[in-house]
Amino acid sequence: MPVRLGLALLLFFALDALAFRTGWYVSILEPNSTAGFLETYLNIEKQRPIGRYRQVLAVGDSRMGLKTRVADLLTAETGCSFGTISVPGTTPRCWYYMLREVDPNCDRYTAILVPLDSYDDRSWENQADRELDINYLTPLLRVSDLPGFVFSYPSWSNRAHAAEAVLLKGLSYQHDFQAFLEHPRTRLQFARLQEEHAREWYYNAVWERHSLAGMSVDWNAKTVALPAWLAPAKRQEVEHVLLDDPPPYSADFARYRRHWLRAILDRYRGSRTRFIYLRLPRGPVVRPETPPPDPASTVREFAAAGRIVLLPEHMFDSLERPELFGDALHLNEEGGYQFSMMLAGEVGRVLASAPGDR
Amino acid sequence: MLFHTPQFFAFFVVVLVLFYTLPRAAGRWILLAASYYFYMCWNAKFVLLIFVLTGIDYTAAMWMRRLPAGGKRKAALVMSLSANLGFLGFFKYYNFLAANVAWMFSVPADAFALHIILPMGISFHTFQSMSYVIDVYRGEQEVITDIVDYALYIAFFPQLVAGPIVRARHFFADLYHWRAPDAREILRGTLLVVFGLLKKLAIADQFARLADAFFRDPAAHPGYLAAWSGVIAFSLQIFFDFSGYTDMAIGLAQILGFHFPENFRRPYLARSITEFWRRWHISLSTWLRDYLYIPLGGNRHGRWHTYRNLMLTMLLGGLWHGASWNFVIWGGYHGALLAIERLLSIREHKHWSLFDPLRVAFTFGLASISWVFFRAATLRDSIYILGRLFTGPHGHILWWHWQLWFVLAALLLAALEESWGWFERLPDAPAWAYASAIAVFLFCLELIGFSGRAVPFVYFQF
Repeated sequence: MPVRLGLALLLFFALDALAFRTGWYVSILEPNSTAGFLETYLNIEKQRPIGRYRQVLAVGDSRMGLKTRVADLLTAETGCSFGTISVPGTTPRCWYYMLREVDPNCDRYTAILVPLDSYDDRSWENQADRELDINYLTPLLRVSDLPGFVFSYPSWSNRAHAAEAVLLKGLSYQHDFQAFLEHPRTRLQFARLQEEHAREWYYNAVWERHSLAGMSVDWNAKTVALPAWLAPAKRQEVEHVLLDDPPPYSADFARYRRHWLRAILDRYRGSRTRFIYLRLPRGPVVRPETPPPDPASTVREFAAAGRIVLLPEHMFDSLERPELFGDALHLNEEGGYQFSMMLAGEVGRVLASAPGDR
Repeated sequence: MLFHTPQFFAFFVVVLVLFYTLPRAAGRWILLAASYYFYMCWNAKFVLLIFVLTGIDYTAAMWMRRLPAGGKRKAALVMSLSANLGFLGFFKYYNFLAANVAWMFSVPADAFALHIILPMGISFHTFQSMSYVIDVYRGEQEVITDIVDYALYIAFFPQLVAGPIVRARHFFADLYHWRAPDAREILRGTLLVVFGLLKKLAIADQFARLADAFFRDPAAHPGYLAAWSGVIAFSLQIFFDFSGYTDMAIGLAQILGFHFPENFRRPYLARSITEFWRRWHISLSTWLRDYLYIPLGGNRHGRWHTYRNLMLTMLLGGLWHGASWNFVIWGGYHGALLAIERLLSIREHKHWSLFDPLRVAFTFGLASISWVFFRAATLRDSIYILGRLFTGPHGHILWWHWQLWFVLAALLLAALEESWGWFERLPDAPAWAYASAIAVFLFCLELIGFSGRAVPFVYFQF
């Protein structure tokens, strides 16, 4: 009897692995789902040809304004070719697994760019218990990730969800699979189209052309005047970001950020890949009551230990102008262009001055 | 704590470990404590109701043991039945009665209504308890002198909330001659639990979404194809939901060394309504036969009495399901069909003929029509939906293609079980065949199961 029951479980896990761990199902994931979206980015990067230039990769979320098309304009000058796996909504935990996927041997990149909102341990949200990370990472998780990934979640409900994503892939893909069954032909066509054209679409994507030029903030009255073109939802978002008090300092967030950024660095320990951290342009206008810098913050500690290069904190302050932003958080097309040019140039300088690089 | 939730499986593992590791004498205490805990997870207060009914029926049976046949013995029976039917009547039918009285006196429908919570499983455990007392009265069942054993019979968690309605003689035969299940029984029990989960989560809950969407607003789904597909979705939901629950109950009990009777035998392969009732909710239909239809006279007093008895039995059977005119009509409809089939002398045949698939389809259609009354919120909705089944434009089928294929696969499996008995053979099959079947069931469950919010079993409301 134990043989039969054990064999049944073994066969079940074999079926699950055959369907979901061989890459077959991932190739037909709904491209617009969170996991599908992330997979598209990773596939583009994995298939990007490596030339004779220094390979520089950017991680980050939607605020990472690096346009590789623009940064590559400076390749002759910087000697760098840029790739990006900056996926909206991802966090340092996601970056760890994403980097493992695109750079399994830690030898593909000369430098990895890590953008942060702040060099202090502050954030708009506590990301440690972020369920969305599970949705993003399901295709990337291996059985060996079970303890590390599961226990990175503080709540038991998300730990259970995380364990499910590690062990029972089919359960995590259930909604996607049922949606596939509803329209199999359309899905296959879309997945094929995405595979063929995603690189071109993403590489040439044009960001918001509008800007917030003309906006003004009365910090005393707590009011914002915004340009007329901005949709109501975006207006609310701008008001929320600029006027609402940020959440108090959270030790949980500091712990989370320290854990995952350190895990990324530890993975590359001994490799020749350099980590370049940068602070993103904070927004179209900057809140007046910016707290004083925390010299003991995670990233400053890393920099002091020589583990990372910390670009000057105020390097991109000149981009913090309404005319370079499309909303409260994201650079627009012009902002992205200027940011990419500045960043590419600076990365080129940093790497050129580093000894032993190609 | 529903059967198809992780909490239940954690609970069951704990029960199994305690039951099989602690001394044998502690077994019934463990099962009783687990059963009360299981019930209290739903509503702790109502366990008192089970205590009270257990006490009354236990006492009634003990009295009968001491009393000679005659008036006093009958009085004990009447007292027990009154208590059971009194509680059932109050909790389940008071508001129905109050609404009808209010209607008769043209006062607001809720004029006499009370806020009553229907205790989960009351219809099942009162019927089980009543069958014991009646059997003792008839001299067909020995009196159980140990109240712990009797309390376990009433509250045993695998069947407490939705059956099957287990007869006392079967339960106590298992309890008093308990032996650890052998490998085959555990394999069969495991297979039943997995298969029941598959039925519930992968089929019933899928079709529940379609049925809910249709019955919530039938007018939003025009056309008779939409109406039929909505109604058939509910036919499939209720069967796979209830038989899935039953499979799990039987499987869980078997793993604990108890043997519950079969409750469903592929009812949608029935070739007549008479046969349907031999295959559907067998433990209830045999209960109604033994404690209602036969005492009413059965078919012993001529044709018209038989029809009357059939009708009365089914009307009360309908009312047992729920307190509304819809359920009464549902019962009456089945009673009428049974009487008509008897009138037309439609016989059951063991062997299948060429036209039997048509008879199966026709019987399924008749049963599906009855489910309209079962599922629709009001009588007015039922009538509206019935009209929609046979009139109007064709509209479109509400199902996805894959759901249709899935049901056809289920039909094929049912037909194979009917002719070949593959399911019952599986525990004896080679290890690879058994393991493959479980693996495929689990894989389907993983992919097709509806793993969002746990949808309660339909029959838990009865």
